[in-house]
Amino acid sequence: MAPQPAFTPPPENLGAVASVLAEPKTATIPLHQLAPEAALRRLELTVVRRLEGFLHGDHQGLLPGPGSEANDARAYVPGQDDVRKIDWAVTARTTIPYVRDTIADRELEIWALLDVTPSMNWGTEGVTKRDLGIAAIATIGFLSQKMGDRFGGLVMRPDQIKRFPAMSGRTALYGLLRRLLTEPIVSDHTTGPFSLAAGIQRMARTERRRGMRMIVSDFLTPGDFELDPNVEPEWERPIRQLAVRNQVLAVEVVDRHEVEFADVGELLIRDPETDFLRYVNTSDDAARERMDAATAAQRERIRIALRRAGAAHIQLRTDRDWVHDIARFVLAYRRTASMLHQPPAGVAR
Amino acid sequence: MDWLTFLNPERLWVLLIVPLLIAGYIFLVLMKKKTGMRFTNTAILGQVVPKQSQWRRHLAVALSIAALVALSLAWARPNGIEMQPRERATVVLVLDTSLSMQATDVKPTRLDAAKDAALTFIKALPAQYNLSVVSLSGNPSVRLPPSTDRVQAQQAIRSLKLQESTAVGESLYTALSALQMAPKGTDSSPAPGAIVLLSDGQNTAGRSPAQAANEARKQSVPVYTIAYGTENGHVDLDGKRERVPPDKALLAGISSATGGQTYTAENLDQLDRVYNNIRSEVGQTPVKKETTALWAGYGLAFAVVAALAAVSLGARWP
Repeated sequence: MAPQPAFTPPPENLGAVASVLAEPKTATIPLHQLAPEAALRRLELTVVRRLEGFLHGDHQGLLPGPGSEANDARAYVPGQDDVRKIDWAVTARTTIPYVRDTIADRELEIWALLDVTPSMNWGTEGVTKRDLGIAAIATIGFLSQKMGDRFGGLVMRPDQIKRFPAMSGRTALYGLLRRLLTEPIVSDHTTGPFSLAAGIQRMARTERRRGMRMIVSDFLTPGDFELDPNVEPEWERPIRQLAVRNQVLAVEVVDRHEVEFADVGELLIRDPETDFLRYVNTSDDAARERMDAATAAQRERIRIALRRAGAAHIQLRTDRDWVHDIARFVLAYRRTASMLHQPPAGVAR
Repeated sequence: MDWLTFLNPERLWVLLIVPLLIAGYIFLVLMKKKTGMRFTNTAILGQVVPKQSQWRRHLAVALSIAALVALSLAWARPNGIEMQPRERATVVLVLDTSLSMQATDVKPTRLDAAKDAALTFIKALPAQYNLSVVSLSGNPSVRLPPSTDRVQAQQAIRSLKLQESTAVGESLYTALSALQMAPKGTDSSPAPGAIVLLSDGQNTAGRSPAQAANEARKQSVPVYTIAYGTENGHVDLDGKRERVPPDKALLAGISSATGGQTYTAENLDQLDRVYNNIRSEVGQTPVKKETTALWAGYGLAFAVVAALAAVSLGARWP
């Protein structure tokens, strides 16, 4: 007879699992574990849309100005143009003096919208979805630390949106992350005017300067059980509007047990946002299969809707290494970004 | 509550547990709502996973509490009212106890002779018939309501004492009202009965005997009369000797008006015709009885159903 395995007590620190029973009281991850700053220094986030700004930065701007990228050639205006800017090749071909304009190099401004509705305060692995979202913001933030780049945060609670102004530099980014982590957890069943769609609209209205926008959410709408990808989710239109002028990055935060429904016997399941309350027999294999299939279809719909809205899509899972996932995304993004973020007809790049 | 009394009412205090249990259950249900597992994607879950009905849970608890209530009531030993079948047919024995009955022309006295005759009659009366005893005097009264208890009847007859004046008509009314006290039937029809009047006649007070006889005929109650005494019977009252001849004509008139018979002390052996002519009828009478077993049975039924509901909740049938 095989020896019985010795009883092992559960680990002292359960991580985010307690969030299944009750809403967490604090963040489940410390600040220094959010992102390996040094390791990310060699990666670069591709910026394909042209930027508006008022500082000299490392990214291509929208308007002419002192910069490194050549723009159109135009006739030399004596007294106005610098003689050193004369494009001799064009002047030789046309016998009229021409100057070559340059496009200004501008700084990048990133705004991250973090969804902290109660459904984000949930996770069955190491971190809750909210804290994974903060880690994603940290990782993207460290990727975009070129000269003068600013990073700002919007925290979308159901009852209000908190705005942390965009500032440049590592120290400011650490300050933003600390404030996101210490932001009070939203208690369950908090009601308010802000859904994800309203939050995105608010961000599009308040942050007018062209740049990069990051939306961190689980993209689940309470009470929305639509699976058909041809039906637009309510947040698709605001994202599409946001993507007209900005480069939009959608970070979808998923927990493993949202995708694979767990087999844990019969239990009472409640929703942190809606008044859903029901006994569910999770040991029912057929029901679990149906649930997994429906969830897969739901995630596919989110993916298609984000693609249709012209946003880049990163899916992060609480049981996976988000730095690894984001690094892989960034490498592939170098090739796909220019295709992905095509502006609509009539809008400048 | 008239229909439900308890032999040990102090045990009913145990019922105080019931509201406590109900409050506790509601509290647990509400607490349970707070302790459910949180899950985010419930919109899909609600569509995909069938809803599990909760009524069996509540049914099991409700039946358990009902069983508890029933068993608590049973423990307090409740008395219920039970309808028992009882013979309705009643013979009312009216015995004259007026002062004229102390005349000694019939040995030893008229009253004692009448009592003897009444006791003999009781012995001969079939046991299933009810017997009522009414004393005949100026103030007739029901000495024994209709009952099959012959010992009580004998005691009631033996304890009769002489009293002032004679109200024959009034005593017939009293006898008719005694008949009303017979066990109730399924409808409001009067109980079948007969009146046996042992008297020496001589109505001196109250309504007239003819009127009473008329009333008895209306209710189709035959009155059998037995006259006592001889023509020269007398009593000494306050030192005065008064003649008290029996009024045989009056008694005969009563019996013939109501379809009864007149007897004299000599042919008493024919009295069995009294009860031979009464038809037997079964009525129902309410009897107080301990109904502990009934309540315990209710409790058992509730408990069995509750147990089945609980088993169906917990067990996974193959």
